[in-house]
Amino acid sequence: MARMFGILIVAIAVTFGLNWLLDSFVDDYVVRIINLCGISIILAVSLNVINGLCGQFSLGHAGFMAIGAYVSAYFTTTLRYFDEAQAKYVAIEPVFAGQWGFVPALLAGGLAAAAAGAVVGIPTLRLKGDYLAIATLGFGEIVTIMITNFEKVGGANGLPGLPAYSNTFWIYSFVVLVVMLSWALQRSTFGRALIAIRENELAAEVMGIPASRLKVTAFIYGAFFAGVAGGLLGHLLQTISPATFNFMKSIEVVVMLVLGGLGSMTGAIVGAIVLTVLPEALRDVESSVGLPGIRMVVYALVLILLMIFRPQGVFGQKELSLKLLRRLMPGSKDKEGEA
Amino acid sequence: MRKALTLLIALGSVFAVVLAGCKSGDEVGPGFNDDKVFLGLFVSTSGDIASFGTDTKNGVELAVEEINASGGINGKKIELRVEDTASDPQQGGNAATKLATGDSVFVALGAVASGISLNAAPIFQEKGIPMISPSSTNPTVTQQGDKIFRICYLDDFQGGACAVFAHKDLKAKKAAILSNQDDAYSTGLAKFFKAKFTKLGGEIVAEESFKKGNSDFNTQISNIKGKGADIIFVPAYYNDVALIAKQFRAQDVKTPLLGGDGWESASLTKNAEGALEGCYFGNHYSQEDKSDTVQKFVAAYKKKYGETPSSLAALGYDVVYVTKAAIEKAGAFDRAKVLDALRGLTDFQGVTGKFSIDGDRNARKSISMLKIQGDRFLPVRQIAPEEVE
Repeated sequence: MARMFGILIVAIAVTFGLNWLLDSFVDDYVVRIINLCGISIILAVSLNVINGLCGQFSLGHAGFMAIGAYVSAYFTTTLRYFDEAQAKYVAIEPVFAGQWGFVPALLAGGLAAAAAGAVVGIPTLRLKGDYLAIATLGFGEIVTIMITNFEKVGGANGLPGLPAYSNTFWIYSFVVLVVMLSWALQRSTFGRALIAIRENELAAEVMGIPASRLKVTAFIYGAFFAGVAGGLLGHLLQTISPATFNFMKSIEVVVMLVLGGLGSMTGAIVGAIVLTVLPEALRDVESSVGLPGIRMVVYALVLILLMIFRPQGVFGQKELSLKLLRRLMPGSKDKEGEA
Repeated sequence: MRKALTLLIALGSVFAVVLAGCKSGDEVGPGFNDDKVFLGLFVSTSGDIASFGTDTKNGVELAVEEINASGGINGKKIELRVEDTASDPQQGGNAATKLATGDSVFVALGAVASGISLNAAPIFQEKGIPMISPSSTNPTVTQQGDKIFRICYLDDFQGGACAVFAHKDLKAKKAAILSNQDDAYSTGLAKFFKAKFTKLGGEIVAEESFKKGNSDFNTQISNIKGKGADIIFVPAYYNDVALIAKQFRAQDVKTPLLGGDGWESASLTKNAEGALEGCYFGNHYSQEDKSDTVQKFVAAYKKKYGETPSSLAALGYDVVYVTKAAIEKAGAFDRAKVLDALRGLTDFQGVTGKFSIDGDRNARKSISMLKIQGDRFLPVRQIAPEEVE
């Protein structure tokens, strides 16, 4: 435990240094992509606990992100809307003005998403496979439709003017947090129990694992970090709208997981980075070839090829670790080491 | 533990070395060199609304070609940099950031969809780069900062102008509204139409809405039928409008329909199969306009792309000439001076009409009301901003 805490402190110090370095030496476009990678990592790693470890196919991540984004924006942003009764524009001042309120706002967003996760999870996690996927997809749609019809937060128009609080430091601090927590979780009794549920739910229950309760807990955990990631994304984009969090966003996160290997956390991280960087890296290819839209064709092609030649994802269920790297190195004596 | 730490430090130092080779983040490039000025264009050339982005891009490229052929702007040729927003707010922001950083563009042009313009605006505002949207009609876009402009009219004007047209020209006393509740453009137009129409003394007899992706509108049509509406306002996009019109006629409702610029498309009348005969919509310009500016543009566009230019192409064409006019008025390649010139731009004669930029950085211009006859959109009359206020 003390060791974990030590690593956490070191890691956060590193992100602080990283933030300074990026801020002073790298152009904003690259910084933005690095930050978006961080947000994708939070999303993919948190969804991996639900979809990968616990084996519950959820398509509701974008819904949780939307809740997190709008709730955190409520705490940091001045809301302006047209009041029909008074027939004039009304402004609601933010609860937390200034940068110091960013973390409480993010946590509030995360908690709201977690609460929604509990409300959705308790009835729907009794469903399995495709049925759960459809129920969670429906949840995501409900969230975006509710926001669309809520004029105070801009409705379909979106909510502009979020302060640009998201920077490399905050984003990567949460990346460190979610990665370390999920890593610890994966190796704990709780994580083992989740894997047991994934492999055979009936057998797990017979062994005395309270499957429903654990599934709901995993769902709430994933929802919390999706909410935080939504808040971070909102304060990076500075304008949020229901269209930002449509069901394609959920699919995108699932694709990151499948690409990296469902059930592998390091796989999720690699998938998140690849899928965030790839469309941007292909921009230059597109302009040199002179075919607009070819980027998306290449992007899809990469995914199709991967699914044909490596259907289990890049890493399968394995984790990338120092041991594995050493084992793969030529001339290594550590051949028997466990990956 | 020690190994992990060593690895971390090693990684960190590699990173630091890589970073040291990069360029500082806060610098904004001048946007021009000795013989070129860089203009950025960010529109959707892929995704849901790719056709809008492609039309805009065609219009912009035509204008750039013409300007470069006649000597450029103040002696500098235009170098156009195009980034795709993929019809997605997040990627739109990425495209804008790419144009704004590194070897930055002098002026940024885009985007088509208001949602994407809203994501790009804070980026250009912060960097001090003027951004001019050719066709984002949502009022909030230019409220994002003093460096954000547009050259099209706004949704509130468009909705109001349709109400004025319905009341004064079509002598309608009762109107019904059918809008798309998922679309900010549609709900916005409906709201402004209703406000103006009731203010003029008209009555809204039915207000119905549908959802994105609906293809059966019979319930809404039944609710509108029999209410005695003289006009039915349908602020939606052309693909929905064609279906809606056919279903109205199938239920034997002969009342004319009225709409906004979302109706414009070559496939509108084809898909509607005659159901829209004698209906009206407001647009940015009319291809049938006899003026020299319009006819010259239409001919050049047809020659280059083999099709009639849409409003988006016309606005794309105009936005480049507005930029040229502003730089020439400023007399120097200095962003602050160009911003001042844009703010005070008056009586600019473009394909989409004569307009000025007002104090809120929006274009003050007329709307062309068109009547559908066969496959043609015939100009009925223009409604000036003064009539609606």
